[in-house]
Amino acid sequence: MDLQDARPATGRSTAVRGAVLLLAGLAALSLCAALSLAAGSRPVPLGTVWHALVADDRSPDGLVVTGLRVPRTVIGLVVGAALGVAGAVAQGVTRNPLASPTTLGINAGAGFAVVTAIYALRLTHPAQYLWFAFAGAALATLAVLAIARRAGDLDPVRLALGGTVLAAVLTSWTSAVMLASHRTLDEARFWLAGSLAGRQTDILLPVLAPLAIGFVLAFVISPALNALALGDETAQALGVPVAKVRAAGGLAVVLLAASSVAVAGPLSFIGLAAPHLVRKLVGTDHRRLIPGCLIAGPLLLLAADVLGRVLLRPTELEVGIVTAFLGAPMLAVLARKVAR
Amino acid sequence: MNAQAVPTARAPRPRHVGALARQRRRTALLTVAVLALLVVLLALGLSTGEVPVAPLDALRALAGFGDAGEVMLVQDLRAPRVLAAVVAGAGLAVAGSMMQRVARNPLAAPDVIGVTGGASLGAVAVIASGVSATWTPLAALGGGLLAAVLLAALAWRGGVTVTRLVLVGLAVQSGLAAAVNLFIVRFPAELASSALQWTTGSVYGRNWTEVNIGGSLVLAGIALALLGHRRLAVLDLGDEPAGALGLAPNAARLQLLLAAVVLASVAAALTGPVGFVALAVPHIVRFLAGPPTLGTLGLTALCGAALLLGADLVVLHLLPVHGLPVGVVTATLGAPWLLVLMMRQMKPNAGSAAR
Repeated sequence: MDLQDARPATGRSTAVRGAVLLLAGLAALSLCAALSLAAGSRPVPLGTVWHALVADDRSPDGLVVTGLRVPRTVIGLVVGAALGVAGAVAQGVTRNPLASPTTLGINAGAGFAVVTAIYALRLTHPAQYLWFAFAGAALATLAVLAIARRAGDLDPVRLALGGTVLAAVLTSWTSAVMLASHRTLDEARFWLAGSLAGRQTDILLPVLAPLAIGFVLAFVISPALNALALGDETAQALGVPVAKVRAAGGLAVVLLAASSVAVAGPLSFIGLAAPHLVRKLVGTDHRRLIPGCLIAGPLLLLAADVLGRVLLRPTELEVGIVTAFLGAPMLAVLARKVAR
Repeated sequence: MNAQAVPTARAPRPRHVGALARQRRRTALLTVAVLALLVVLLALGLSTGEVPVAPLDALRALAGFGDAGEVMLVQDLRAPRVLAAVVAGAGLAVAGSMMQRVARNPLAAPDVIGVTGGASLGAVAVIASGVSATWTPLAALGGGLLAAVLLAALAWRGGVTVTRLVLVGLAVQSGLAAAVNLFIVRFPAELASSALQWTTGSVYGRNWTEVNIGGSLVLAGIALALLGHRRLAVLDLGDEPAGALGLAPNAARLQLLLAAVVLASVAAALTGPVGFVALAVPHIVRFLAGPPTLGTLGLTALCGAALLLGADLVVLHLLPVHGLPVGVVTATLGAPWLLVLMMRQMKPNAGSAAR
């Protein structure tokens, strides 16, 4: 958050610093992943976790690790990375430090689509929600972007207002559908809280292609996002096709965020928090920021998930609720700094 | 949208006076029209239902005249619901109007900055603890004030700036929403349903005790708002002119905001956080009647009442599904309005919101 940290340093010391940060980040992420494999209502010692991973361990502990926690951790890694990168791109494209997948109406859109589908088609399993969540999220985002467009440019105020309005309407429609049918309410409220539990890794298969396209787009436009940060006119003068970069960035955000909602339900704040955390460490250069979010996103998500599992043991707290609780104060602090 | 207030205040005097007179006529006309609409809606609300009563008889029965059965039906069963909608709609609209003007931000509304979210949390906590539902309004008020305290603690930094207030408000709102969500996930299905009903905003099953207490509090709040209108008008001139006129801008702003928060919480205690009434009605009134004056503040109250009552009638009679909360309708009706207004007026506002 301390933007002054982006002071130019000599090439070599920056490279060293970057390497150290990268190693530290990867170490922290591995630690979180290990904890995610070990912690839960049935704590498993790390030695047993290792044994279960490398050998074919048929003990109850080993089955818990390989059958439940490995999928959960893998999903957490993928979803966290997608949300982190989506947030970084959203903030870069809109030049608004408070932009995030949540503010773009993605969660509300996915929620409404899934709840409607549960109601109308009598779905009973998160794996069946996938395409509805994806479609709802993508449509809502496109709608908010359309509202916020003004003469080819994205107005940040319109973006915030449009996102808020659309999210409020969709949320109230979601409540209406849930109130109209008890079965839908009972089915949907757990999904709506956002969770990594009870999913197998094959739920990732259908979204692999959109995720891959989203990640590639994000990395391709990252140099252009740096130019965009200087203002549209400067970027244009530097030869950056501003409108195309915006469109590509918007597409990347939609693909990444919609895929993650589809897999794990609405998770707020990872997309907002990860870019800020990384920016504080490596500065504002998007060529470092976006790879950084690839580590910071899953780090935050897995940490929140582990916390949710140990906090109220033996029951567990949905990770979406944990991230919302942790994220709210963070957003407040950010808002204090942004709006002087 | 609120940026309009600034140029009006600085407009050259002669034109200003003529425009003001025209606006006053327009406001008066609109007030009469909305008042008539409100009476019609009131009569409709009291007369329709399982046992229909003629609209005029229903109004008479409300005053205690006519057939004893009709009087009981109207007074005991229908009036609390209808009056709760009227009072809460007026309170929410006035609170929203005050907030938007003090904060000079079209987004500043109790549902955006967390006040009604706090009220929801209070109410849901009561539902969770299983104590008598008569505590719900009090808990909702407490929750609204809690949100206001959080908001003040986090947004105060040697003064309040507008953008910070709204952004911090969004943060408070999302934290409180997460807490409500936690309850909804943990509840058994029936409780989750009634909690959801409450947090979407509903006038179903109000009784006279609630209407009497909540109603008098809301009316007192609206009266206070009307009395405080001079300060609002002075603040509209900008901080320096206000200071020159002997008004400490920050203190005045804080008092007015606090009043708006209490008003919104009390109104939300009565009906739940009915969405968009507080956000949309001030914009609608500004669109119809022009820049804010004392008269338009009164008009705002009437419009809020008419909107919420009308939305409740839609819920009762026009929707295919029964028992939906009125907040669904207000959100659906309010959002397009807001979006259209945004399209039309975003440009002049960009500067003031960026401050």
